Amino acid sequence: MAERTVAVTADLTPAELEQLLLERPDYEVQLESLNQWQLAWRRFRRHRLALAGAALFLALVAIAIIGPFFVHYDYYEIPHPDELVYAGRPPSWISGDWDPPLLMGETARLQRDILGLVVNGARLSLVIGVGATIISVVIGAVWGGVAGYFGGWLDSVMMRIVDSLLTLPILFLILVAGKFLGRGDWPSVMLIFGLFGWLGLSRLVRSLFLSLREEDFVDAARAVGVSDGRIILRHILPNTLSPIIVAATLSVAGVIIGEAFVSFLGFGVDITQPTWGNVLTSSLDFLQQGNWWWAFFPGFAIVLTVLGINFMGDGLRDALDPRARI
Amino acid sequence: MTSVLASAQGGTRADDVVLDVRDLRTYFHVMDGTVRAVDGVDFQIRRSGRLALVGESGCGKSVTALTIMRLIDQPPGEIASGEVWFDGRDLLTLPADQMRAVRGGEIAMIFQEPMTSLNPVLTVGDQIGEAVKLHQHLRDREAFEAAVQALRDVGVPAPERRVKQYPHELSGGMRQRVMIAMALSCRPKLLIADEPTTALDVTIQRQILELIKEIQERTGTALLLITHDLGVVAETVDEVVVMYAGRIVETGTVEEVLLEPRHPYTRGLLSSIPSRGKRGQRLSVIKGVVPNPFRMPPGCKFEPRCPYAWETSVQGEPTCAQNEPELLSLGDGRASRCWLHDPRFTGRLRDYERPTAGAEEAR
Repeated sequence: MAERTVAVTADLTPAELEQLLLERPDYEVQLESLNQWQLAWRRFRRHRLALAGAALFLALVAIAIIGPFFVHYDYYEIPHPDELVYAGRPPSWISGDWDPPLLMGETARLQRDILGLVVNGARLSLVIGVGATIISVVIGAVWGGVAGYFGGWLDSVMMRIVDSLLTLPILFLILVAGKFLGRGDWPSVMLIFGLFGWLGLSRLVRSLFLSLREEDFVDAARAVGVSDGRIILRHILPNTLSPIIVAATLSVAGVIIGEAFVSFLGFGVDITQPTWGNVLTSSLDFLQQGNWWWAFFPGFAIVLTVLGINFMGDGLRDALDPRARI
Repeated sequence: MTSVLASAQGGTRADDVVLDVRDLRTYFHVMDGTVRAVDGVDFQIRRSGRLALVGESGCGKSVTALTIMRLIDQPPGEIASGEVWFDGRDLLTLPADQMRAVRGGEIAMIFQEPMTSLNPVLTVGDQIGEAVKLHQHLRDREAFEAAVQALRDVGVPAPERRVKQYPHELSGGMRQRVMIAMALSCRPKLLIADEPTTALDVTIQRQILELIKEIQERTGTALLLITHDLGVVAETVDEVVVMYAGRIVETGTVEEVLLEPRHPYTRGLLSSIPSRGKRGQRLSVIKGVVPNPFRMPPGCKFEPRCPYAWETSVQGEPTCAQNEPELLSLGDGRASRCWLHDPRFTGRLRDYERPTAGAEEAR
């Protein structure tokens, strides 16, 4: 009898496996065990929209990293400093004028390459979005984790602080903070978004900790003599990673759109830096002259990015849900 | 009560005793009032001794164990009084960091539910390794090897492979072996096993009990077994403490308690075990239910369910319904919390010793 082993992986459904075994009873089946992340990946890759979103997001990351090396102009380069034109050139593929090649056209006034602005805007948006999210996840996870784990009066005090901060209209707070605290450079904008963005996350983490701390494995860890800090960080926090990853993903999109919003209003990153919001603001005066490409491409970049990240977040939510099967 | 038990344990010298619990009281203050989950419990375990806490659900056995480990959430819990002497230290007054060193290092605990007592996101090796890293200050590599060895010691096949697996890849029996490996990895002086076989199916139960017993004998650790299963008690321990409604109602060696139960509650427990000899008969049960913790009877806590309880006849004489009996020493390490064993009621005790007659009369 031929010794054959079949490893059961994602490639076989239980029904297919059964069929296979009926046909080849000499096969020996070995169950291949998958860890949490492998299972999540199996579920994620069946989610087409999420895959597309992830691809879009990865493309954005790639553009942010290598894009600036390929664009025609550096974003701060002003090709003709002594002449101000009052209409920018449209994209080359519309005008047929390929000297210089302009994928997204050119701005009026300083004749900057919009592709360069959008690509560098991607870099800033991404850094601010991811950086602010990391800050708020760290604060939110620790704050919510401590409150949820210890409970009692500490929980009450910490959560009332969150409640009272949540009564403030955060976006306007960010506007004001951006005007008075920040110096208009991107690190301070990132910091402001990070410092105001953790409130919802801390509530999520607290609720997860409230239920997880009642789990037997927490008692078991305490019975082994593990300290509270270590239980929070090593035993409970990894169990909350899935919802935190989902919330963080969606938060990146939120910060990117929020940053564009405050920059558009002139309270965000200084106008000399080409964030998407800033490019949109400066395009306003020239929209009436038909320079649609100036507003369209950065706006489209925002929409694509946020859409992509949100699709990815939805896919992650399904993939990381422990109750979901295959 | 302390004196009763201390004298009851007769020849036992203090340094033979690894755990000495004195007048332990653990209360829970909840919305509807105060639950006296453990209300004055005393017992001792000798070095390498094996003792079982027996009783039905809610009688306070698990809370007793958790109080010894100081794993009661305070609030709502409160350790209202008592001392837990372990190796010359009172665990209830030990600073938190020293208590952490005791937990896992000197007293280890096995929980009832192996399915939920292991952390789903950490590998088995991580969890066993954590215990030895904490208490024996081993490096990662050494801890990994200690984990493999610990798994081998509890009879897990292919420990090198298992150690890298996650709990969901193991069966219930395997997980309980992992829990035992974790508990024993630091060579504790006392092992507390809280219903270690309740969640397992019957064939596995036997293996796990054999394993606990075998390891207990090999390593000489003392064992505090918590169970409601008298069959488990008979096979595993030397001494038995029967609890009811937060109090100890009977103590003695395993043979004495199981063969000659003195307290009506223990009798009830034993006679409600189904056996082949009783085929075709109705199963005997203890009437009624455990008293409502917020409205405990003022006298003996078992009185409402006790077939032997009697109304008062003589003025000034204690009655089951009004006066709670002490834990009365019966000599030879035995004790029972029942008025029947008060010298004043020897006449009634005679009826009790003829159980069928006594029971018929009580009905």
